[in-house]
Parts: sequence; structure tokens; C-alpha cells
Amino acid sequence: MRRSVFIGVKSPRHIGKTLAFVFVSILALIWLVPIIMMLVVSLMPPDQRAPRFGGMLIKGVSLQNYVTVFADAEIIQHFVNSMAVTVPSVILVVLISSLAAFALARLKFFARDIWFYLLIMTLMLPIPTLVVPIFQINKALGLNDSYLGLILPYTALGVPFAIVILRSFFAGFLREIEEAAILDGCTPFGIYWRIMMPVSWPAVAVVIIWQFMTSWNEFILALVTMNSVEVKPLTLVPLVYSGQFMMRPGPMFAILTLITLPVIVVYYLMQRFMVSGLTSGAVRG
Amino acid sequence: MTRRWLIDNQGLFFMAPAMLLFVVFVLYPIFYIFNASMYDWDGINQAVYIGIQNYIEMFTNDRSFGLSIRNSIYWTFLTIFPQMFLGFILAYILTSGIPLQNVFRIIFFMPAIISPVVLGIIWQRIYAPFGGLLADLGRETGALFLIQPYIADPKIAIFSTIFVNVWQWTGFSMLMYVAGLQGLSQEVLSAAEVDGAGTLQRIIHIVLPLLRHVHLTLILLGVIGTLQTFALVFMLTKGGPNHATEMLPTYIFQKAFTLQSMGYASAVAVVLLVIALGASIFQVRVLGSRFTIGN
Repeated sequence: MRRSVFIGVKSPRHIGKTLAFVFVSILALIWLVPIIMMLVVSLMPPDQRAPRFGGMLIKGVSLQNYVTVFADAEIIQHFVNSMAVTVPSVILVVLISSLAAFALARLKFFARDIWFYLLIMTLMLPIPTLVVPIFQINKALGLNDSYLGLILPYTALGVPFAIVILRSFFAGFLREIEEAAILDGCTPFGIYWRIMMPVSWPAVAVVIIWQFMTSWNEFILALVTMNSVEVKPLTLVPLVYSGQFMMRPGPMFAILTLITLPVIVVYYLMQRFMVSGLTSGAVRG
Repeated sequence: MTRRWLIDNQGLFFMAPAMLLFVVFVLYPIFYIFNASMYDWDGINQAVYIGIQNYIEMFTNDRSFGLSIRNSIYWTFLTIFPQMFLGFILAYILTSGIPLQNVFRIIFFMPAIISPVVLGIIWQRIYAPFGGLLADLGRETGALFLIQPYIADPKIAIFSTIFVNVWQWTGFSMLMYVAGLQGLSQEVLSAAEVDGAGTLQRIIHIVLPLLRHVHLTLILLGVIGTLQTFALVFMLTKGGPNHATEMLPTYIFQKAFTLQSMGYASAVAVVLLVIALGASIFQVRVLGSRFTIGN
């Protein structure tokens, strides 16, 4: 039955692929509905009342909601706040985790395995378990309502996963090059900085995307650390303006779209590294 | 400490920043919650030592805590396995060379990168009883089963919330399976084809067993993800109605920052910590689970 009469016309393999394509296309459309809805509602004309279908049917397209949001809410300030927390945490995570991952992959030192297991343990911790103590630590250090009050914990919590990614990447390098470099008088730091880091961009890219998304989207620590409106990152903005825009989904969904755009841009620019980064260890066995 | 020892252990200098952050923001907080869980403390006034009273209260007389545990169990099973099943099917199709497969991968992964805060607000409008997407669709097409009190009915609210989570994270499972499938050698797959194994046979007997490490990683990450679910529930239902969608993190937040019971919140945090560490260490030590699917 499998490949008899259809040969030359359409093989079963072809039909299977066509069916798979149709299935995936329909599912992808359904998958996108909430995201399309976010965009559509944000473009709804302000005079449209009582939106139906959650706002999926709009009478015309208007950018008025975006104008309203920029006029009534300090969106730019919140955007700057998000950047001021996210960018330093990404840079710190890359530097701190790559140093540690290099040591764990290549150097021998006191209690190396114990340190590695302790760092791995961090990956098993639900962040909400730490929210009370981190709130109190920040209070004691006077870091509540300051960017540093989020940058430091985000870095601390992001470093372990970055170490796991980078360590397996570093471990896959050929040792011959490093041995030659040592004979030429290169220090371990030189090997890390001049030999390994320049060729590690696929793994570093994964760390950057991952940390950017986690810092940008982090919610619970931001919620307890940032109390003054002026310092709140974008992720808290829907709560800040939920009263003001309660009856007006248009401006609220414009805010949601503005929060989402940066992560989609970063992901789109970096996504080709994602799959290769996830498998970087596996491919090189 | 001699100079020699320092030279032999110079790895410690490379590790120092990571270690320092770990001690301040992970190790110290762990000791902190164990200690604070023994006190009756509002976070402001003098704390009163009460031994294990918080734990006794939690396990004998706290309906919300019980509901959080029940919901965590629902959440674990109803997110992880559907996500893996659908994620694998998508990954299998999207590595078979159909047109636009990269575009499809981006589409399915997209919800995973969007803040759960944003998604919570969008899904409120999808679930809304009046003017909501599903309810209006039901009224307009006559598919009346679509008109449900999705997040207002305590009986079904948790499942509606879980559904959003499955939608958000299926793309992540897909991406992990895509990476796993690309790591398999083509020879294994094509050898099976020449032998005449049908597609389903090939998947069940050859592909799925070879992806064991991906299944294990997804279960490990799924359990941890479940145990730290906060933002989606907080935005979609606030843990309600009447604690019906309460998860341990939302309960900790409510106790600590709404009801000002820092001691009790710490005790709940200790329980969450023990469950998370216990489940993860079991998986890593006994099942051999890993956090990434690389070597």
C-alpha cells in the first residue's frame, strides 16, 4: 500500500508533508491569536466603545492609544529603568560566569567540585523562596528603590545557568592550542581572555539572550524592591496604570505592546544562535 | 597560605565574584528563611520566637496552603506532559524539511519570551464572560460550551490558568526537542527507514528512546518552573477566586507583603525550598537529569 500506485504522481511522503504543513499552519494561527489581539486592541480607535471578541474586531486603525500612553504615562522613564537594570546585569553575568566557567573547565583549585555543585543548586531554587530575605538585604543595604537592588540579585541568580552553558562549551575546546600558548608564556587569564572568549560567541550569545529576557521580564523581585513609580521597570507598568486605564483597554494594550517589542527584537536578532547554543555541547560530543 | 598555594589555586580568583554573589544572595537567604520561619514577625516590630508553631499551623490548619500544594501537583502534571507531547510533535514536523519551518519555530516559541505579566492581562480579555474572545465566539457561532466562567469559577479557574501556561511554554519544549533531534545522527534515522520501519514505529522505538536526555531535562525544568510560578497567576487571578488558583509563591507573597507575616511566609518558603531541592536532587542523582541538553 505504502508506495505503490502513487509513485510518479504524489508519493505518500509528499502527502504526509503536505498534511503536516497544513496542520502546523492552522495551529500556528491559533497560537498567534493572543499576540495578534494585543496588537489589534492597541490600535483600536479611542472612540470605539464596548469592544467585542475581546477587541479583535476594530473599526479602523489608530495610533491614538500610543499617543495617549506617551502623554499620560512616563513610558520612556520606565523603559530607561528596564534598560538600566537589564543591561548591567547582562554584562555582569557574561563576565562573572565566563571567568568562573573557565576556572571550572580548565583550572584545578580548592573545593572545585563543591563550588560547582553549590552553584548548580541555585538552579533548583524557586526565586520566590528568596524574596523575603532579598527584600530585607536590600533594605539593610539601602538598595530598595535603586537599580543596584535588582542588578545584584539578577546577576547572582543568572550566573549559575550561564556557567552551565559556558563550562560545557569551554570544556569542548582542544587543549593543544592552550598547551602551546602556555609554552609561549601565556597566563591562565590570557588563555581565557585572548584564546577562549573570542571564539565563544555562540555560547555567549545564548547567555546574553537568556539573561536579557529573564532580567527584562522578571517580576516578583521588582515588585517588592521598586516602590517609587519613577524607578519601576516596564514589567510593573501595567500594575501602575491598571486603575487609570481600567476602562480603556486601548492604552493598556499599547503599553503591553511596548513592553513586548524589545524582547521580540532581541530574540529575532539572536534566534539563529539559540538552537546551536542549546546543542553546542552535544554536537561536539 | 603560601605563595605556592595561591598559584596552585588561582582558579579561586576567577571564581571569586561568582562565589561572593552566591554567598550573599543565595546561601545567606537560605539560612535566613530557616531562621525567620521560627518567629512570629511582621517585618517591623520585634520578632517573637515561637519554635515550629508556624509549621504546625501550616500543616494542620491552613486551607490556602493545602490548596497551593494541590494546585502545584495539578500544575506539574498538566503542564509538563502536554507541553512535551505537543512540543515533540511540533519539533518532529519542524525538522522534517517542510516549507517555512524556521518561521513556524519562531511563532511557537514567541509566547515563551513574552512577560507573563503581559500574557496575564491579554488572557483576562480572552476569558472575560462579557465581550471576551471565547464567550463572544460562543455566542456568535452557537458553540455555547465556549461560554464559561473560566477564571471566575473556583472549580475550573486553576485549569484555565494552567492552559495559558501550556500555551506559553510548549514552544520551549519544541525548541529543546528540535535541538535534540538535530543532535541525532542521520544514519540512525535513515537506517530505520530502509529497514521499512513505519514513521510511528520509528518514532516510538528509535527516536523517543534516543531523546531520553531531552525528556529528563524538560521534566526537571518543568518541575522547577511550576514551583516558581508567580507572575501569571498574580496577574490573571491573584490566586483567587477564594485561593482556588493559589500557588506556593503567590501565597508567600501574600503572607509576606500583603498580610505582613514575614515569619509565616518564611516557613512556607522553607517548605517550597525543601520540595524544590528534594525533587530536583532526586531527578539529578537518581534519574541522571541535566539542566541543559548539551553534553
